[in-house]
Amino acid sequence: MLEPVLFALFSVSAVVFAFNVVFRRNAVHCALHLVGVLLSLSGMFVLLNAQFIAAIQILIYAGAIMVLFLFVVMLLNVKGEAPLLTPGAWKGFGFFFALIVFVELLYIVLSQGGTEGTPAAAVPLPPGFGSPAEIGRILYSTWLFPFEVTSILLLIAVIGAVVLAKRKFA
Amino acid sequence: MQTLSVPLEAYQLVAALLFTIGLIGVLVRRSALIIFMSIELMLNAVNLSFVAFSRQHGQMDGQIFVFFVMSVAAAEVAVGLAILVAIFRNRETANVDEVHLLKG
Repeated sequence: MLEPVLFALFSVSAVVFAFNVVFRRNAVHCALHLVGVLLSLSGMFVLLNAQFIAAIQILIYAGAIMVLFLFVVMLLNVKGEAPLLTPGAWKGFGFFFALIVFVELLYIVLSQGGTEGTPAAAVPLPPGFGSPAEIGRILYSTWLFPFEVTSILLLIAVIGAVVLAKRKFA
Repeated sequence: MQTLSVPLEAYQLVAALLFTIGLIGVLVRRSALIIFMSIELMLNAVNLSFVAFSRQHGQMDGQIFVFFVMSVAAAEVAVGLAILVAIFRNRETANVDEVHLLKG
């Protein structure tokens, strides 16, 4: 079977890229590695029969949002912060609390609580699962009101971004 | 591809790992830009979880949720980066430890 091989490839590359996002000092490198994470996740979405989501993951995230990030990184020309692993009083706490959260997530995943009532991998897929046509049909019927609210949210975000970025602090 | 040959738990495990790495980024890094990128990482981990559960249950509502999460992430990034630009113009820094006053 091809699927486990592809899953292993995408998951390992996603995790390695994610480590680079967090531990690189140059912000441009971080942004480019984040693009790597997004592309790996897009591959996983295809494995999970979510073709439309995989496509908009590349178009919106890797295309639009990351270009915005890179634009701001290069616009601001931020000085590199202090080396990450200097002995700081609070960084140890950061790693410690992240470890606690990871153990909790591990417990939730492995305790089978999430798959209760559904036999693993036994649900037959309806035809057209994950296709743009089917997504559109659900989006414009069941989820019509949230969709309209999203358009208002995006309008507010655009206005807010313009107002914030234009304001002169004299 | 009627059956999942990779168990759901494997996808959840990857999502948990990505979420934790993003959390480390938010807690440990001090550059506001990197903190934003770590938040994107955490949002994407949750998206992977949504899509995996959607596939497991054979219902597409999870994929719709991913669509909404992406819209909200786009709005958040636009406003957040605008705030960052305003702060940088004002204070010449993107270090979150140095931005601790409400008044400019």
